[in-house]
Amino acid sequence: MPEGSAERPHVEIRDVSKTFGHVVAVDRLSLDVATGSFTTLLGPSGCGKTTTLRMLAGFYDPDAGDILIGGVPQQGIPPNRRNVSIVFQDYALFPHMTVLQNVSYGLKFRRLDKAERDRRVSRVLEFLGLDALEARHPHELSGGQQQRVALGRSIVMEPHVLLMDEPLSNLDAKLRIRVRAELKEIQRATGITTIYVTHDQDEALSLSDRVAVMADGRLQQYSEPWELYHAPANRFVADFVGYANVIPGRVLERGAGTATVLVPGSNTPLRCLDPASRAAAGADVGVMVRPEWFTLSPADEKAAITDGVVLIGEVRSGSFLGAFVRAFLEVPGIGDPLVVESTVTRQDQMASGTRLRLCLPHDRAVLVD
Amino acid sequence: MVVAALALFVLYPLLVAAAAPRAEDWLRALTTARWRVTMLNTLQMAALSTISSVIIGFLYAYAVTRARIPGARLFMLVPLLPLITPPFVSGLAFILLFGRRGLVTYELLGLNTDIYGWHGLWLAQTVSFFPIAFLAIAGVLRSINPNLERASESLGAGRWTTFRTVVVPLAAPGVGAAALLVAIAVLGDFGNPMLIAGRYRVLATEAYLQISGWADMRMGAVLGLALLMPAIAFFFLQRRLQGSSVGRFVTVGGRGSRIEPAPVSPMARWGLFTFCLLIALFMLAKYAVILLGAFTPVWGVDYTFTLDNFRRVVVRGPELWNSLRFAGSAALVCAVLATISAYLVYRVKVPFGRALDLVSLLPAAIPGTLLGIAYVLAFNTPPLQLTGTATIIVISMVFSYLPVGYRIAAATLHQLAPSIEESAADMGASSMRTFFDVVLPLISTSFSAALVYCFVKAIGTLSAVVFLISHGTVVASASILNLAEQGYWGWAAALASLLVGIALLTLGVAKLVFGRRFAFFDI
Ligand SMILES: Nc1ncnc2c1ncn2[C@@H]1O[C@H](COP(=O)(O)OP(=O)(O)OP(=O)(O)O)[C@@H](O)[C@H]1O
Ligand SMILES: [Mg+2]
Repeated sequence: MPEGSAERPHVEIRDVSKTFGHVVAVDRLSLDVATGSFTTLLGPSGCGKTTTLRMLAGFYDPDAGDILIGGVPQQGIPPNRRNVSIVFQDYALFPHMTVLQNVSYGLKFRRLDKAERDRRVSRVLEFLGLDALEARHPHELSGGQQQRVALGRSIVMEPHVLLMDEPLSNLDAKLRIRVRAELKEIQRATGITTIYVTHDQDEALSLSDRVAVMADGRLQQYSEPWELYHAPANRFVADFVGYANVIPGRVLERGAGTATVLVPGSNTPLRCLDPASRAAAGADVGVMVRPEWFTLSPADEKAAITDGVVLIGEVRSGSFLGAFVRAFLEVPGIGDPLVVESTVTRQDQMASGTRLRLCLPHDRAVLVD
Repeated sequence: MVVAALALFVLYPLLVAAAAPRAEDWLRALTTARWRVTMLNTLQMAALSTISSVIIGFLYAYAVTRARIPGARLFMLVPLLPLITPPFVSGLAFILLFGRRGLVTYELLGLNTDIYGWHGLWLAQTVSFFPIAFLAIAGVLRSINPNLERASESLGAGRWTTFRTVVVPLAAPGVGAAALLVAIAVLGDFGNPMLIAGRYRVLATEAYLQISGWADMRMGAVLGLALLMPAIAFFFLQRRLQGSSVGRFVTVGGRGSRIEPAPVSPMARWGLFTFCLLIALFMLAKYAVILLGAFTPVWGVDYTFTLDNFRRVVVRGPELWNSLRFAGSAALVCAVLATISAYLVYRVKVPFGRALDLVSLLPAAIPGTLLGIAYVLAFNTPPLQLTGTATIIVISMVFSYLPVGYRIAAATLHQLAPSIEESAADMGASSMRTFFDVVLPLISTSFSAALVYCFVKAIGTLSAVVFLISHGTVVASASILNLAEQGYWGWAAALASLLVGIALLTLGVAKLVFGRRFAFFDI
C-alpha cells in the first residue's frame, strides 16, 4: 500500500527541466502531489505533459531538478526499480498475451508466493469486471475493455504512484464519460496516488483533486478545479478552462486580493478578484467574466437594484442549446462581443436584435492581465 | 492476360519439366549416393546460411532500429547494396579476397589456403542473403510498439527479460518468415556455388552440369524439381507466417504518441555498433575488391593500375550490351504485368484477387535453375520454338522477377494514399477525370518503380539464363562466370563492376526523379 508520511507530499517535482534538441519540453516545473490524491496535468498539445509523466516513470532523466517519491530522490533509478506504474494512451497491452497474462505480468518480478500473486490478480480482474475475459487476447477486446486491462495491469502492482497518459482519448465520447466515472471510483477505492494527463478540461475538472495547468512546458496554475475555473491565475488558464470574456478595464484602487475597476459602458466601479495581485492604481487590465456570470433582463424593464455593474448590450446572434441559450452580445465600448449563457423562459427572449441589460455582480470577475 | 501469360510461361513449362523424367530417373536420383549427398548438401547449405543470415540480420536490424547506434541511417543503407547487385558478386569478391591468390590470404597472410568448398560458399551465401533477413526483420522490429517495452520495464522487467518476453515473441513469426525467404534464395542460388563451392555439390549446379556436361535433360529436370519442392513448401509456410503475425499481433489501441525505444545498455550499444561496423566494412570491402580487381592486370601477380580490362570487356563482346537490352525489355514487360496485377488486386479489388496475388508471387518460389530447365524442355519444339532466341531470355527474366515487380508496384500503390480515388470520386470528379488526375499518376509511379527494380534485378540474373543463352545471346552475368572459371579475374571483375555500377546508377537516378514516392525496400 502507498506509503509516505502524511505531512510530506508523496510526489515532489522540484524545478525539473527537460530539453529535446532546441525544444524545451518541460521548463522548471515544480509540483507537490499529496498522498492518495488525484492530480491532473492539463494543457494543450505539446505542453510537456507526457514528458513530465515519462520522467516520473523513469523513461527520461530530467536535465535539471529532482523528482522525489515518498521522499526518495528518483534520479538514476531505472523504471523497473520504481514503484510507479503507467497506463499508456495506446494501452500498450502485450498483444501476444491473454488478459490474465497481461495483468499478472508485472507480479512475476515481485518476490511474492504464487498464491498471493493469484489472489491479487483475481481480485483485480474481478474488481474491473474482467474475470470473464481473462483468456482473451487484447485484439479480441473492445476499446473500453482494453482500457480496463491496461488499468488492471497497473493497479495489480499496487504502485505508489499510478500514472495515466490520456487513457480515455481512444474511446468514443459516450464510453469516455462512463469510463471516466469508473476511473474516479477505482481511484477512490484503491487510494493510489494518481497523476493523470489530459488536454480535456472536462476530464480534468471532473476527476481531479488538483489540476496543474501547463503551457509551453511551464506551470501556469496548480489548484483545485473550483479555483481553476473561478479564479484563474492568468489569461491562458482563463481561456483554456471554460470560456473567458475579457473586458478591458482601468484599476481605480487595489485591495487585498481584490481590485476596484472601471469598465466601459458603466460609471459604477466593479469590485473584482485579483488572485495574482496584478492591479496597480491606474493600470489597464483585463477583466475576465464567464458567460454564465451575467444576470440578464430586458433593457426596457425597470432596473432591479443590483450589487454590481450594469451594462446594456444588443444580441447579435444566439443559439439554443437545450438547457440554455448562448448569445453573442454587442456592448458599446467593448471590442469583442460578449458571450453570455442563460436559461430562458420565452423563446424570443434572446432573439437577434434584442436589447438586454447585463448585470455583473461584485467579487466575481477576475483580473487576468 | 496476366493469368494467361503466367499459365503459358510458368505453369506450362513446369508441367513439361515435371513430366519429363520417368520413374526410373527418380529412382536413380534417390538411390545414387552422389545425388543423395547433393540433396543433403543443398539442404545443409540452406540451413546453415539461413541460420547465420537470420542471426546477423537480426542483430543488424536490432542495432539500427532499436539500439540507436551512431550512424544508424548509414548502416541501414549498406545491406541494401547486395539486394540490388547480383549475388555472385560475393562469390567473385571472396575469391579475390580469400582465394588461392587472395588479397588477404595470399598477399597479407601468406597463406596457401583457399576458400573453395562449403565454408566459402557458406560465407558468400550469408553475405549475399543476410540483407533479405535484415530488411524483413527490420520491418518487423519497427512494427513493434516501443511502448510495449516501456510498459514491460515499468512493470518491473529488466532489459533482458523485456527482450525475451516481449520483443522475441512478437518478432518470432516475422523472423520465421524472413528465415524462409532467405532459405528460398539460398536454395535457388546458382552463381555462388558455381564460383566457390569447389567440390561441394549442390542441386542448382549439379542440375546445370548434368545438362551442359552430359546433356542429361531428364536428370537435370529431376534435380531441378527436387529443388522446387522445399522451395514451394517454404513459400507457402512463409505466407502463412506472415498472415498469422498480421492477424494476431496487430497493435491495438490506436492513437498515442510513441516514445522512442528504450536505450540499450552502453555496452550492448557499442558492441552492436562494432558488429555493424565490421559487417558493413566487410560488405563494402566486397565491392572495393571487385573494383580493384577491375583495374588490375593480373590478380595476385601484377597490381599495376590498368584500364585494359574495361576496354576489353566493353569492346570485346556484346555481353554487356545484350544484358542491357534484354534486361531493359524484360523490365518493361515485367513492369506492365506487375502493375496490372497489383492494380487489380489492390485497387480494383477484383473477386479473384487473392488467387491473382498468389500466382503473381509464386514464381518467387521457383528456383531459377528449374525455370531454365523447364524453358529448355518446353520451348524447343514448335509451335513455340524459342530456344536460342533472345525472346526466351527476356521471357525468363520477366517471369523470374514478376514477384519482385509486383511487390514493388503493390507497395507503391499502397503507400500512396489508400483511398484517394474514392475521395476524388466523392468530390465529384468524373471517372475520366479521376483516371487522368489520380489513377494515372498513381499507376505511373508504381509502374516506374517496378520497371527500375526489375531492370536492376534482371541485369544480373544468372540461374535461369545460363540454360537459355546461345552463341549470340551471351549476357554479362554468364560471361562473368565463364571468365572467372578460366581465371580471367580482371575481366570478370571489370564486367561485374560495370553491372554493379549500372544498377546503382539506375537506382540513384530513379531515387532522384521520384524521391520518397518510391517504395523500394518495403518488400
Ligand atoms: N523524444 C522526443 N524527442 C524530441 N522532442 C520531443 C520528444 N518528446 C517530446 N518532444 C517535444 O517536447 C514537447 C512536449 O512534448 P510532450 O509529448 O510532453 O507534450 P504533451 O503535452 O504530452 O502533448 P500531447 O497532448 O500532444 O500528447 C513537444 O514540443 C514535443 O515535440
Ligand atoms: Mg502526450
